Amino acid sequence: MNIFKKLITAVRGGASEVGEAIVDTQAIRILEQELRDSKAALEEAKTNLTAIMAEKMGVDRKVKDLGEKITEHEGYAIQALDKGDESLALDVSNKIAEFEHEINIQQGILDGYETKVSTLKKLIRQTERNINAMDREISVVKTTEKVQQASDLASAKHSGSSSSLKSATDSLERIKERQQKREDQAAAAIELETEENGADLQGRLEKAGIVDSESSGASVLDRLKKRKENN
Amino acid sequence: MLNIGGNMSNEKLEELVKDLTESQLSDGASLSIEKFDGDNMVACIKVEDREEFPVYMTVDEGQLLCITYLFGDNQVDQSRRAELTEIMLMMNVSIPLSAFSKIGSQYIMFGALSPNSNVSDILHEIETLSDNVLDAIDAVSDYLKEAA
Repeated sequence: MNIFKKLITAVRGGASEVGEAIVDTQAIRILEQELRDSKAALEEAKTNLTAIMAEKMGVDRKVKDLGEKITEHEGYAIQALDKGDESLALDVSNKIAEFEHEINIQQGILDGYETKVSTLKKLIRQTERNINAMDREISVVKTTEKVQQASDLASAKHSGSSSSLKSATDSLERIKERQQKREDQAAAAIELETEENGADLQGRLEKAGIVDSESSGASVLDRLKKRKENN
Repeated sequence: MLNIGGNMSNEKLEELVKDLTESQLSDGASLSIEKFDGDNMVACIKVEDREEFPVYMTVDEGQLLCITYLFGDNQVDQSRRAELTEIMLMMNVSIPLSAFSKIGSQYIMFGALSPNSNVSDILHEIETLSDNVLDAIDAVSDYLKEAA
């Protein structure tokens, strides 16, 4: 069965009320059992692989030995022919034929082992992938359960009731209001600072006699009179 | 074997919590963090001024998960439930770093990181998730029941 399908069973089995377990512990137990079975199967497959590889090496050696023997006997046959001993050459050739027959059989066995090894390796890779996936999913399911418990605990501690029961939109509004308030405060602070700086500048200008500290009717009249005289 | 991994992951989480407590988000918001012990330790991270939507963080051998609860089934306008889930499914791809999901009766948003992520990666994740959560609730508020 597909691992995702199993998970759906696991997370669906739980209760839907806040504070209740969300994970079907029975389903998780089954998943964990399957995980253990898979791991045992993996170990077995690895042991099998080792055994087959050892056997394959044995056959490999046999094939190599036979090959060497064939080369060796071919040399003998040629030497016999060189000496004109046709009968001896034929005997040696018969021996070579036996070796060749044997090497064909061993090569067949070797090919069989090679196929087996590659199949087993594929199986092991697949099993390892499955095990990793199961491990991960079980861990996630357990984690979400923990998060749920922590969330319940946290909200019980801080508000006496589950905060998840509070309206999300209400909470959002509250956060927005706080944010607005903060922005307003910051804006007000900046405005105040600007005003203060402005007042400060005015004071310094007055002190320097650049700007009149106070304009009165008399001073205005003075100014106007001066302007008239200059004209 | 899960437990051994869990303990090692708990150590990793403890370390991260220590680093995160001393950190701030890019806008200067601070984080307050509470740990919940257990086989799989969970850290509850609250972003300053957004305490309503804490980020729950866990680490295991495979991944680091940040989860925030959005709302429960009880808050969903039942006549528009199918539409809501379809919309969330469609929004999933375009939301940066976070995705929708459901734990039990609770709709959640989560982000998954490599368990070897550094503190700055995690801070970025928390910040993004927190922003996404506010945007997402805003976006789907039409499908939720009117606040009582």
